Amino acid sequence: MATTDFVAAQAANRRNTLLLLVILTALAAVFGYVIGWVLEGELRDAVVFVSFAGLVGAAVLAAASVIWSGISLAFGDRMVLSMADAKPIEKADAPQLYNVVEEMSLAAGVPMPRVMVMEVDALNAFATGTSTSHSAIVVTRGLLQTLNREELQGVIGHEMGHIANLDTRYMTVVGVTVGLIALVSSMILQTMRWGSYSGGSSSSDRKSSGGSAILIIVLLVVAVLAPLAAKAVQMAVSRQREYLADATSVRFTRNPDGLISALRKLEAAAGKPFPGVSDATQHLFIVNPMRAMTAKTTALMATHPDLESRIARLRNLGA
Amino acid sequence: MTFWIVLGVIALIVVWLIALYNGLVGGRNQAQTAWSQIDVQLKRRHDLIPNLVQVVKDAMGYEQETLTKVVQARNAAAAASGPAQSGPAEAALSQATRGLFALVESYPQLKANDNVKQLQEELTSTENKIAFSRQFYNDSVNGYNTRRQSFPAVLAAASLGFGPMELFNMPESEREVPKVALR
Repeated sequence: MATTDFVAAQAANRRNTLLLLVILTALAAVFGYVIGWVLEGELRDAVVFVSFAGLVGAAVLAAASVIWSGISLAFGDRMVLSMADAKPIEKADAPQLYNVVEEMSLAAGVPMPRVMVMEVDALNAFATGTSTSHSAIVVTRGLLQTLNREELQGVIGHEMGHIANLDTRYMTVVGVTVGLIALVSSMILQTMRWGSYSGGSSSSDRKSSGGSAILIIVLLVVAVLAPLAAKAVQMAVSRQREYLADATSVRFTRNPDGLISALRKLEAAAGKPFPGVSDATQHLFIVNPMRAMTAKTTALMATHPDLESRIARLRNLGA
Repeated sequence: MTFWIVLGVIALIVVWLIALYNGLVGGRNQAQTAWSQIDVQLKRRHDLIPNLVQVVKDAMGYEQETLTKVVQARNAAAAASGPAQSGPAEAALSQATRGLFALVESYPQLKANDNVKQLQEELTSTENKIAFSRQFYNDSVNGYNTRRQSFPAVLAAASLGFGPMELFNMPESEREVPKVALR
């Protein structure tokens, strides 16, 4: 049995995610340092190599990302659920779905999550939650009506995998850090544009400050590139977690065919955005609800691996 | 100097023992919780089966050999306790239930019956739950047993009171396709 392969894959993914989180926090800190460094250079009208203001900036941005993460971890799942307009259901409303979720929670050894339904025809599902004991699995009405029991089990296994592997928590932290970096960089770009309109004469008064002009360019480049780099890292994490959740699903169900057949059906119906989905939540779903993932779209900025890569990996697990 | 080295070594051993003890307690508790989950599902199956048998009997108007077998297997399984006894008894019951499902499949008026459909979904799900909680229980037991048998834990585990745990095995016969005798 390939059980040990799963364990190894899971450990490797946990390490990767941790590494990526460290990189993101470091990125925020470097970003903060550069801001402080440029400000100090401007004020002193000279390039300093070790900047106190830079250290302060790094500490502030790193702390802000930690605090913001904490807030999102406490309230993020509620926001996501209300954005998706998901309604909780009772066992009597959809006995089979309820049973399948219960089965998968036993396989994963985690408490029973809340079961919710989005009243849309599209075929999709996602999981959210701040811990294994405080989580929810959401499926669309269309999915419930289209998939058979085996396929439904594969999909719910995938979502239960996200919960058991704590992906929901990791992705919240990663998303928050990316959002923070984007926010700060847009603030800098706004300030600089404002500065260039109002301060045109004052900068010509200070012709001597050639150093600070270089600093401004450095800041500009960082402000433009940092959000892009952060986004690329976020998407890399997202793709890794999708692979891992697929593998975890098979570990629970011991049946790759159900998930493969479900993924084919979901992907065939994907690419049509539905109410309750936005750029901010697209990475949560089992298949990207905004656009179909083919080998060509799986570039740096794709939220999900392409379908054929996912199925190829599932086949390897089954062999 | 030697005194401090000895003290340091003793402190390290104590810390290691604490970590070992806590790790084994965690593993054992996880397995015990998993076992109680299996137990819940087994009981639930024992409760569901008489209902299904009754509904099938009512719809057919006469008793069938398959039904008698299911009831017997159910009573034997309900009387068993602990992983070693329950395993074979529950496997026999699974096989008997599959015979009942096959019987239902071959009678259109039973298949269309809403009560039967509902009970069938409940029983299928309960069978799955037993399988999945058994899978999780056995994984937990394997993890625990491996940990207590690994070196150097094996030196201390037994004297700390951590014995080996039993796997819950249901014999492979459960996978066989049941033979259905019609009438």
